Parts: sequence; structure tokens; C-alpha cells
Amino acid sequence: MRRTLALYTGFFAQSLKARMAYKADFFGEIVASVLATAAGIVFVLMLFHRVPDLLGWQRAEVFLIYGLSLIPFGLFNVISVNLYEFADRYIIEGRFDRLLLRPMPTLAQLLMEKSRLTAIGEVIVGIVVAAWASVDLGLAWGVADFAWTAVLVVSGAVIYTAVFTILSCLSFFFEDRIGVGAPVWNLIMFGRFPVPIFGPWIGAVLSWVVPFAFVSFYPATHFLDKTGYRTLCYLTPVVAIGIAVVALAFWRIGVRSYRSTGS
Amino acid sequence: MPTESAPAIRVRDLEKVFRVFRRRVGLGGAIRDLVHRRYEPLRAVAGVSFEVGEGEMVGLIGPNGAGKSTTLKMLTGILVPSGGEIESAGFVPHRQRVDYVRHIGAVFGQRTQLWWDLAVIESFHLLGKIYGVDEKTLAERIEQLDGILAIGELLHTPVRKLSLGQRMRCDLAASLLHMPRVLFLDEPTIGLDIVAKDGIRSFLRDINREFNTTAIITTHDLRDIEELCERILIIDHGSLLFDGPLDAIKSAHAAETHLVLDLLSPPTGAIDAIGGEGVHWEQQGPLRYRATFDRRAIRPPDLARAALAELDVADLAIPEPSIERIIGRIYRESGARRGGTDG
Repeated sequence: MRRTLALYTGFFAQSLKARMAYKADFFGEIVASVLATAAGIVFVLMLFHRVPDLLGWQRAEVFLIYGLSLIPFGLFNVISVNLYEFADRYIIEGRFDRLLLRPMPTLAQLLMEKSRLTAIGEVIVGIVVAAWASVDLGLAWGVADFAWTAVLVVSGAVIYTAVFTILSCLSFFFEDRIGVGAPVWNLIMFGRFPVPIFGPWIGAVLSWVVPFAFVSFYPATHFLDKTGYRTLCYLTPVVAIGIAVVALAFWRIGVRSYRSTGS
Repeated sequence: MPTESAPAIRVRDLEKVFRVFRRRVGLGGAIRDLVHRRYEPLRAVAGVSFEVGEGEMVGLIGPNGAGKSTTLKMLTGILVPSGGEIESAGFVPHRQRVDYVRHIGAVFGQRTQLWWDLAVIESFHLLGKIYGVDEKTLAERIEQLDGILAIGELLHTPVRKLSLGQRMRCDLAASLLHMPRVLFLDEPTIGLDIVAKDGIRSFLRDINREFNTTAIITTHDLRDIEELCERILIIDHGSLLFDGPLDAIKSAHAAETHLVLDLLSPPTGAIDAIGGEGVHWEQQGPLRYRATFDRRAIRPPDLARAALAELDVADLAIPEPSIERIIGRIYRESGARRGGTDG
């Protein structure tokens, strides 16, 4: 197990190194990712300039949920690049062969082979926003709160990765690219707000179909003075493990029906 | 048939069926395709059986789309067979993939195993980690491989900056870092110049001699087969047409040798007389003629000399026979032989 871990970090370090070969790009991209994320924050700020609250949810509460969602999102973006390029680069162009020839799990190789460290910008913005919101809310952070935040971050990154892994699996079965990625991608935005404001239907979809509500909304209620979310809040790691198991099962089925390319 | 040692690879009734999506024609067809897709089964590999002994080098040949690559991909664990059994190096490839691939090396000529942006040496170190080869052993192996493949000066170059021949040498080295017991080579000399081809062939011979590595090689270049393999498997339309010694291919090769002549002026006499009995002349263009002969009966230089004496020759060539031609010939001969013994 320790050897496997050492191997993964070596793998990851090398892929980062390959990326760092273009340094100017690298820092430019971090700045771009910070700015793009900040634009979303500005939008919410302007919203609260017009309205005092969102169906009972105060500005600081919304920002805490929003900020906490950006941390796992940034981590997911570090490793997710290849998931988007999976259909084109790995299935249609047949690069998946190479992963199958190496004595390592294919999904782990896929996620680590290419990374986008510049997405760390999103993590930084997330930490700043969440910290500011928690000061605004007058929260006193104990050890348990930090521990819970760690659970939230890991679970959130797992949920994002699992959802997009399941979508990538479709490429194993269909020769054409199919555009389900973009609509699901847009759902991520909904998951950054208190889900009840969207009504029961969207709330149900975000909880039980594409569980982005478990990335930050439910687990963030740990810090908030709201009733009715306790069970769902602490169900977060269970949901993360559950969807990870489903994603791995889909992946196995997909790999078995991989057809490779003509030559 | 008893073999001296247990076979390294055993394949029985191997099958691969693909479902092929049949597109309809035109815009209307495209819309109907969205609603209902028509699939047709395509048997890319249709019941192939063979064994390869430890340390044997076997050539797998056949025309494009014959099922060679599909067979190779099932042998390496990339594709899951639709039917039949494979055992290679003591493993069932698709079921024990992670453990199995530690013991094999694979080079797919068209595609590199290395990381595009990394220097070759960094790719090697990464592969060393993946295969669990410790630093010291890895350094020794790289040095050893450099001795035969002369990759020393390439080690610090990013893969994307290598020429095809350089890249192929590095790919071969990469596939051998973990000392695989079985090597699968798909078109290992494709697109290389003569010098590079020779280098790779002699390297493969050395590896086979020194480490008793078993190898299956697919190729379109008959020279690869002639110089590396004592045995060939011919596959066409997904079935094994021939499994036997290289001699068969050599005789087929020899029996249909061509000499192509481009003339400066039309022949004055009867061209059919040149070379005597056993030479068949054909006119292929206004000033192009082709002789077909058996090189075991008539030496090519003798025929060329006769032609040069009689004709006003601008250019002459002895083209390499195509794989399709030789397969056709072997097919006819083996069919005749089989008919002779069975019937």
C-alpha cells in the first residue's frame, strides 16, 4: 500500500513537472482561474445588494456554502482534465490502450497522467470566501470543525470526480461524443447555493441523482443555525463513498467493453 | 503434439466479435439513426488456436483488417475476447490484467508508450516506478540497453522532439525495462529507414538470444519476418490460414520473383525469348515490362544480364513481393497439401 502511494505521488509529480515546463503559462493560468472564480463571487455580492436574503438564507450563510464548495471543486479541477478529454484523446484516438498495458488501475492513471495545478486558484478563493463568511457569522472554530471541513472537502472532491467519471464511462459504449457533460457541468453552480431556494424538484435531483448538494450545501449546515438538515449533513461521507462505488462499477463495465481503435 | 517445455502462450478458439454501427445515408438517415441504431456483428477474430513455445519468435502476418491487431490486443489484455481462451506467461490476460502486464512488454509502432512532454530518461524512471524496478537495477538496464540501442544521447530529449526511428528505439527500450518474459511487437519497424530497421532487428535477435524472450511480431515487412522468425502464423478474415516454418514463406517468395524493366525504346525482337523457359513476360506500360520467374531456378543477375544485352534498358528493379500475394500463394499451396494428405 505504501509503495502504491509512493508510486502515485511520483507519477503525479512527473506530470506536474511536464506541466511546469511552460512557466509563464502556468502563473498566468492561476491568475485567470482566480479572476474567473472571483467573477462568480461578485455576482452573488450584487445579488445581495438588491435583496436582503434568499428565502431566509442570509448573505454570510450563502457565502459560507459557496466558499466551501470552491475548495473541493478546485481539487477536482486539478485532476479532472483527462476526464473531459477522455472521449477524444483516450477512446477515439485509442490512447486508452497504453493505460491498459501498465500494471496500475486505469482510472488512477487517467486522473494522474495530466493535472491542472492552476486550479489551486479556486481553492485559494474558496478558503478566503469561507473564512470571511465565518467571521461574518461569528463562528468559533474548534478542532472538530476543522476535521469536519476536511471530511467535506474530501467528500466533495470524490463526488465531483465520481459524477464525471460516470459520464466519461458513456464513451466506452457510444462511438460518438455525446453532450451530457455540459448540462451536468451547469448543475455544479446550483450546488453552490442553498438548494431549497430552487424548489423541491431541482432539490431532489441535486440530492439523489447528481448529488452536488452533498458537496457543500448539506455538509455546510454543520456550521449554520438551521433545522432539518442534521441527518443529511452527516450523511455526506456515506453519499461520497456510495457514488464512488457506483462510478468504479461503471468504470469496470466500461473497460470490459473497450473496443480500441482499428489498428 | 508434445513440446519440450510448457508453451509461453496458448490460445484456443479465440474469438472477437464487434458490434458495428451501420450509418444510414443522407440527412434523413442521420435523423433515423438518432432514433434507432442498426448494428451488425463483425467477427474480427473467428476461432484462432495456436501455441508459442518459451523463447520462440513468431511472426503474425496477414493483410490489413485480417484480425492481427485484434488478436495482439487480446493477447496483451487490452481487449476482452468474445470467446475462447488465452493463457500467456501463466496468466489469463483480461482477467488478471494488472499482474499479467508486469511480465509482458508491448510496442505498438504507431503509438508511443512514453510521455510526450517528458525527457526520455524521466519516462524511464516513471516506468521503473510503475513496474517496481529499483533505481540501481533500472540504471544498469538503461546502460545495457544503451549499449545495443545507442539511446544515450537521446535520454535528455523530450519525446516529442525525437524522430520516428529514435522514438522507436526508446519505445523498445521502455518495453524492456522490466525484463518481460513475453514481448508483443506490432509493426516495430513501420516508417523507419533501412539502417534503423536493421538496427532494431539485430537488437531483437540479441534480446531473444540473451534472455530467451518469447516474442510475437506483426509486420507488413517480410524482411522483419525473414530475419527474426523461424515460424509464421498467417491470419486472414479472422482465421488462421497457416501455422508453420518460415521456409514456406521463403519458397513462396522465391517462386514469384519479379523483374521490372523500364525501356528507352520498344524491344526490337521477341521479348518472350529473354531468359528462356520459366520466365513469363508481361507488358505493363508503353515501355514497361515485367518478368515473373522462380529465383531458385533462375538467378536474378543472370536474367538481368540477359535483359540488358537484348534491350535498351533505362531502369530495372526487383520489387519486394506483397504480403497479400504471398498469402494467396501459401493459401493455395497449403490447401493443395492438405487436400493431398487428407484425401
